[in-house]
Amino acid sequence: MIPYLAWMEWRRLMRTPLAWGILGIGMCLLSWQFLATLEIFNGMQPSSRSLGLSHHLGLQLYGLASVLILITTPILTIRSFSEAFRNGSYTLLSSAPLSNFTILCGKFLGILIYQLLFTLIPLLLCLSLTIGTQLDHGLLLAASLGLFLLSGGFTAIGLYFSTLNENPGIAAAGSYGLLLLISLLDQTTDGGSFIHWLAWPSHFLDLQLGLVRISDLAYFLLLMIFFLGLALYRLDKRRSG
Amino acid sequence: MPDLLTTTQLSRRFGGTAVVLPIDLRLEQGDILGLLGPNGAGKSTILRMLSGDLAPSGGEINICGEDLLERPIQAKRFIGYLPERPPLHRDQTVDEFLWDCAHLHGLNRGQAREASAQTKRRCSLEQSGRRLIGRLSKGYQQRLGLAQAIIHNPRVIILDEPTDGLDPAQIRQVRELIQELAQQRGVILSSHILPEIEASCNRVTILQQGQGVYSGEITPPDQTCYRVALEQEQALQEITALTAVAAAEQLHTDSYRITLETGCQPSDLARQIVAMGWGLVELKAERISLEQLYIQATTGGLS
Repeated sequence: MIPYLAWMEWRRLMRTPLAWGILGIGMCLLSWQFLATLEIFNGMQPSSRSLGLSHHLGLQLYGLASVLILITTPILTIRSFSEAFRNGSYTLLSSAPLSNFTILCGKFLGILIYQLLFTLIPLLLCLSLTIGTQLDHGLLLAASLGLFLLSGGFTAIGLYFSTLNENPGIAAAGSYGLLLLISLLDQTTDGGSFIHWLAWPSHFLDLQLGLVRISDLAYFLLLMIFFLGLALYRLDKRRSG
Repeated sequence: MPDLLTTTQLSRRFGGTAVVLPIDLRLEQGDILGLLGPNGAGKSTILRMLSGDLAPSGGEINICGEDLLERPIQAKRFIGYLPERPPLHRDQTVDEFLWDCAHLHGLNRGQAREASAQTKRRCSLEQSGRRLIGRLSKGYQQRLGLAQAIIHNPRVIILDEPTDGLDPAQIRQVRELIQELAQQRGVILSSHILPEIEASCNRVTILQQGQGVYSGEITPPDQTCYRVALEQEQALQEITALTAVAAAEQLHTDSYRITLETGCQPSDLARQIVAMGWGLVELKAERISLEQLYIQATTGGLS
């Protein structure tokens, strides 16, 4: 039943102008950044190039993509629960023979399919260069994996806040608050501390540079599991209200 | 016949406020049980608990032999639920929505196709399959809400104000549909509209401030009681002197409530009034049994 729910969620999401708008605007901004990165790289003296083109793309293009995902994910996730609670359509799922776990996983995977589409945009832009130059495919795949895992973590956070409140505005504000907090945690803390570890940019940076480390993968997986667990707890609590 | 649904001491509190006091309900096959009560009496809360949407604070719910609280997924297979606000996806077409509803209840593709066609026919939605739900009128949305509740052929159908927002012709259709569905199943519906319950249900539970104040069969309308209007006022003694009249009560200057003598027909009464030359203006059966029951129950006259 989880695959059907995921497909249902994705199909309904793709019915909204919002989803297409995000893909369209994302495509424009990322293409702009892609061309700007190429322009700057071309303008550099070959002797002053300390990093290859793939590294530049990984840092600049995937850096912008991660910010776009941070901005768009809460808008996508508030639909899933908060808005469904508000307009009463959630009853369709809660009175069907489905567990809360099934419902949550279905909705999570449905949004993840969409995030996968978004993740493909920077990858396809980069792959368009294979006609004229040699790229570090490993690095680009690692950066894409990082972006996808990041979007999974953000989606889990967004879904948790979506289950918290019937008011979509508050749900979105909560998601933004937490997402910005975990974006900034590494600015003020020492490298080795736990709080520093909680921030996502340093984990994502490794993947942007092509370093696939178990500790970074574990960070993103734990982020997803932790917030999906909290969301599941909220859904169970909501039934007993 | 085994019960389709039973509740034992079902209750619900929100914070410190008791919204539903312990109540026992029972539904058999063929039953149409009406929950009647003023707004805020706890009808919708009870139905939400029966549908599994809301966990009770106390008590048990058993649906077709499965405990709803212990084995919710198994028990919910037997339930179809139409909440107060139909749970619709406004951005889908009617066909897509019903397709999803059928799959959510575990029907496969073939079954879903068949169930969708049958349900659209039953709810008069055949012409609306390709229409966007957000563009449908309130009456159509209500019928689609009903359609999603019955598409998987549930044995227990729970309907919260099913005729809300429908025009008189549609109300009649829905009533007929409910009667048809109840032959093989059990239906629980709620309403604060008395004639609605009287027209659809065979049993009623009257609620007042979360408490079940009356529960039992709906007595058939008392057909020995008639309202009579005459051209001119007549003395009450003269009316009671008619052989067809057992008792009479003056309502206004020229209208009376008359109880017939056992064995007498309303035609006898009409004939005698005409014979007296009083000028019969109106003669109609009084349907007061449930209304009296309701007023008495909600004002504390029954226990």
